[in-house]
Amino acid sequence: MHELGILNSMIHTIQNVVNEQGITEVDKLVIEIGELSGIVPHYIEECWPAARYKTFMENTELELIVIPGMVKCRDCGEVFNAVSADLSCPKCGSRNMEILEGNDMIIKEIICK
Amino acid sequence: MEEFKVLEIKQSVFADNDRQADEMRRELKKKKVFLLNLMSSPGSGKTTTLSRTIEALRDEMKIGVMEADIDSDVDAREIEKFGAKVIQLHTGGMCHLDAEMTRQGLEGLDTQDVDLAILENVGNLVCPAEFDTGAVKNAMILSVPEGDDKPLKYPLIFQVCDVVLINKIDVLPYFDFDMEECRKNILIRNPKAKIIPICAKTGEGIEEWADWLRGQVKEWKS
Repeated sequence: MHELGILNSMIHTIQNVVNEQGITEVDKLVIEIGELSGIVPHYIEECWPAARYKTFMENTELELIVIPGMVKCRDCGEVFNAVSADLSCPKCGSRNMEILEGNDMIIKEIICK
Repeated sequence: MEEFKVLEIKQSVFADNDRQADEMRRELKKKKVFLLNLMSSPGSGKTTTLSRTIEALRDEMKIGVMEADIDSDVDAREIEKFGAKVIQLHTGGMCHLDAEMTRQGLEGLDTQDVDLAILENVGNLVCPAEFDTGAVKNAMILSVPEGDDKPLKYPLIFQVCDVVLINKIDVLPYFDFDMEECRKNILIRNPKAKIIPICAKTGEGIEEWADWLRGQVKEWKS
């Protein structure tokens, strides 16, 4: 369960952005979580109330978008969703793959007044 | 009606930490201090490996160690016996160290006369891999009893490590651990990883590891 630490780090990153932009209140935060990031969206939601407590985002709503974990097989070139294929290529069975998308957690946008 | 403004951010949640980590690497370069971040599971032999490493290198360079644990100072007391400068960092329940905590640790250690600073990260294969500590190189220890499939189960830590030490090779005959399979699994995750089998208890492989580390420190200081 590393989600709380990740949210704390994210709050510091956003703090810098709002300071630069002169924003005081954030209404909503849109986050993209990749399926291969090792970060569990459900736990991010669960931890959010604790992470934002007594910060400038105490009233901020959180919206999560899950990004599919897409990979390319390094042996046969097949492109597939690694999670539904259980981490092996559905065409040739190889486990040697390159991640194309869904490896990160990104702050997509913040919505404020 | 109130107007809402949408700001496109497109930044990693770790952006702030990554920035601090890059800044610290620049400072370490100026000060000619090499920082190694050592990660592993609990019980993989980090402290014993560290003791052997200090023994191998202490005559040629000044070594400082930061022992990060959730609590206690048992590891720090153990390491101190080997002649390195040590401080204990308590993460207070956190499962990893970030760049800011590492900076505080380095300040506490006082790196003025230190050539090689080693951060013994919290025993965990998940969170420490996500947070760049500002280290010049990342190393991890995987021990034989943990199994050769760990690179498949914990991909990120193997991706971020420059070197993987496979420890406790003296017990290989008693475990279903396939060394070639393990190498293959590590290289799938990270084709550039250097893999060194060691036994911290008997000292096997420590020379190769010390050579690698010596070379890295020399390069950083030049």
